[in-house]
Amino acid sequence: MNSEHSMTRRESIKKLLCLWGGLSLGGAVVSSWPVIKSAQAAVDAPKFLVDGVGRTEGYSIKALTRKTFEAAGGMRSFVSKGDVVVIKPNISWARAPHLAATTNPEVLEAVIELCQEAGAKKVRIVDHTIHGAKRCFAVTGAGMAAKNTGADLVHPRSSLMRDMKMGGNRLDVWPVFMPVVEADTLINLPVAKVHGLSGLTLGMKNWIGAVGGRRNALHQDIHQTIVDLAHYFKPDVTLIDATRVMVHNGPSGGSLSDVVVMNRLILSDDPVAADARAARLFDLEPDGVGFIKIGHQQGLGVYDTAISRQLEVAV
Amino acid sequence: MKIKHLVWLRRCSQAFFLLLFVFLVVESRLPQDFYLDYTQLVNGEQEIRLQQPVTVFFQADPLVWLTSLISGHVLIKGFGWALGVLVLTLVFGRVFCGFICPFGALHHLFSFVRPALNGKRLARANSSTGSRRVKYFILFLLLTAAFAGVNFAGIMDPISLFFRSLALAIVPGAGTGLKEMFDFMAHTDIKVLNYLSYTAEVLVSPVFGYGYQAFKTGWLIGTIFLLILFLNRIRPRFWCRTLCPLGALLGLCSRFSILGLSKDIDRCTQCGKCTQSCVGAAQPVPGESWQKSECLMCFNCHNTCPEGAVVFKWRGPRGQTGPDMGRRAILGGLTAGVSLPFLSRLDGQIHKVSDARLIRPPGSLPEKDFLTLCQRCGQCMKACPTNVINPALYEGGLAGFWTPNLIMTQGYCEYTCTLCGSVCPTGAIKNITVREKVETPISIGSAYFDRGRCLPWSGNGPCIVCEEHCPTSPKAIYFFEGMVNGPDNTRVKVKLPQVDLKKCVGCGICENKCVVKGRPAVRVIAAGETRSVRNRILL
Repeated sequence: MNSEHSMTRRESIKKLLCLWGGLSLGGAVVSSWPVIKSAQAAVDAPKFLVDGVGRTEGYSIKALTRKTFEAAGGMRSFVSKGDVVVIKPNISWARAPHLAATTNPEVLEAVIELCQEAGAKKVRIVDHTIHGAKRCFAVTGAGMAAKNTGADLVHPRSSLMRDMKMGGNRLDVWPVFMPVVEADTLINLPVAKVHGLSGLTLGMKNWIGAVGGRRNALHQDIHQTIVDLAHYFKPDVTLIDATRVMVHNGPSGGSLSDVVVMNRLILSDDPVAADARAARLFDLEPDGVGFIKIGHQQGLGVYDTAISRQLEVAV
Repeated sequence: MKIKHLVWLRRCSQAFFLLLFVFLVVESRLPQDFYLDYTQLVNGEQEIRLQQPVTVFFQADPLVWLTSLISGHVLIKGFGWALGVLVLTLVFGRVFCGFICPFGALHHLFSFVRPALNGKRLARANSSTGSRRVKYFILFLLLTAAFAGVNFAGIMDPISLFFRSLALAIVPGAGTGLKEMFDFMAHTDIKVLNYLSYTAEVLVSPVFGYGYQAFKTGWLIGTIFLLILFLNRIRPRFWCRTLCPLGALLGLCSRFSILGLSKDIDRCTQCGKCTQSCVGAAQPVPGESWQKSECLMCFNCHNTCPEGAVVFKWRGPRGQTGPDMGRRAILGGLTAGVSLPFLSRLDGQIHKVSDARLIRPPGSLPEKDFLTLCQRCGQCMKACPTNVINPALYEGGLAGFWTPNLIMTQGYCEYTCTLCGSVCPTGAIKNITVREKVETPISIGSAYFDRGRCLPWSGNGPCIVCEEHCPTSPKAIYFFEGMVNGPDNTRVKVKLPQVDLKKCVGCGICENKCVVKGRPAVRVIAAGETRSVRNRILL
């Protein structure tokens, strides 16, 4: 299963790099080699899990983000010079940041800055939003974060969706939002919140925003499709934003009474471990959340307790 | 100023206003690259508004002002511009038609840049005929109908018609064509085409956006528009001379203007150049009586006359001062204008219960008042970011033809968006704030489930996409776990959705996102809308 999966990803990366830039075929193949190597290297390295906690009153979210990444060896361990970095925040709903339906724009801005400092050639913010993308960019603060940092906002559209072979248990061929797969470095930047059907919206579920097509049909087998997507889009690192957490009325929320301030960030290169740790914020065991359990069973990753390198930083 | 310069000034002015109009049509959408400052957003009260004054042409349109006044008894926002145009007409004649009107400028372009007729045939086409009375008939019809409570003006008003045609037919039509081409190019395996498609799509996105747009009856709006343009091949500026009710209104007002056409019959050689160049068929040739109310103030006759026999002068001869309306046109207009509103109410849309699918934009006035003000111009439809607002075909009855109607299978009403009300030129949709919309709350209808179609209710497995998308807090769509009969004599445990009518605002995102397409399992009907007391459901 695992080896099959990595083949698919390798194929897709190659194909996409060829497609996107309009570069010559030779140049594209050459430039795709280091990416594939680094993707494989990441799988072999020992995994880590960093908890970032904002303890002081009025702490700087940016400083916390920075410290969290530093604990994991700094952004340079994920982003090489000249990389095209794609950040996949959750900005699906046109909701103001304080309502916690979307990734905190300060965290987003900090991550973009870290990528740029690490020498990224381009940083793209990519999300196939649920509400109109223009309004989402404007209201969630992602647009302002992009403007402040010079990152690109990629407007989701049908011309950027392509049928890709996922080879998952439930999803075989599905339209994928191309910029996500053509990244040199892929950073998953979800927000933690509750969800009516799947229980929680965390890192793995964030990949529903990286595909097109009949996304509303995914709910018919939500846990397995989330794991299939997470198998396909393996991010280099996942940073779960739990600074403000929507604990009721998810995933759209809409009221301050739905939100609890938790001041937490969770960083891991294991998608299952990151989600498992975040689930505990909601007083849920990883076993109790369908997609985390299936992800663990199907070898996508391990529970947070199984990660050897666990660190905590505080600001 | 020499007359030659005046004619060039007119051409420049026409080009300017035509381009301005097209620019404002294009700008009637969410602003590009407009991002709220998230550090200021803690109260969530920042409104997204358009950055350009997109309704300025409607404000400068005396017909919009007048019909709103006599029909809805309101003075629309910015009506001072319309009064300014009236004053201008009283002093200088129909200069609005000749210098400002963008629709007139378009006809002018079509008629005279490459005219279909020339020589004697052009002179014959430019001679005065009785058909000019049709526009007075239309004007009186519209004014009387407005008096009787239904404002049909927008169907024929040139600004509304032009805006509607561009916004709902021409721009989305061209956009669809381009978008299909981009999609095709992006999905080929030729890298150059992929790259071109990507770049081109970003470049044209300020005009056409990134998505496919659709407007019900867009084909009809477009066909009528092209037909009106084609009429210019029969007679130059056919629309302005024969059909335009605004032209008729300004013609009525022009009788006191102090600009007159002085004709010198002794110098005239009957060369016919003045008639050939006359855009309004106003009989500029010496020996005939100048039709002041038909004159579009283009100054062509003065400019072309080689003998100087036709000259515009301050306080010059007034020609035939009163417009030639014809008694029949007036009486016919009055009769039709009285009949139409009453006939159009026979479908019971106002006094009985209106169509279940007549869902009006948030902030709309009660149906009766709405019909006195709505110009059917399409501003709200163009501005709507989700493309949910469409021109109604039958939902609003005859009186509601082309008025805004929300089609939830095509879009949905964004919970925190109030753009449509902010661009409505007459206030048929109130300019509400997000806070008003959310806290009142302003409901445009209510959702109900069709359990036979719904996946969980019909035993076909889990879904609750509707609950996920429901934007209110707490959610109007809730679920409970229950057992239902599934296939093969099984019992299935699923989350079953239901609607809490107290919380539902009828935004329609549930219907839009429902996995059952075409005729979704959860649908919104107008019942329960805030604006209508009769249409409410709960006690």
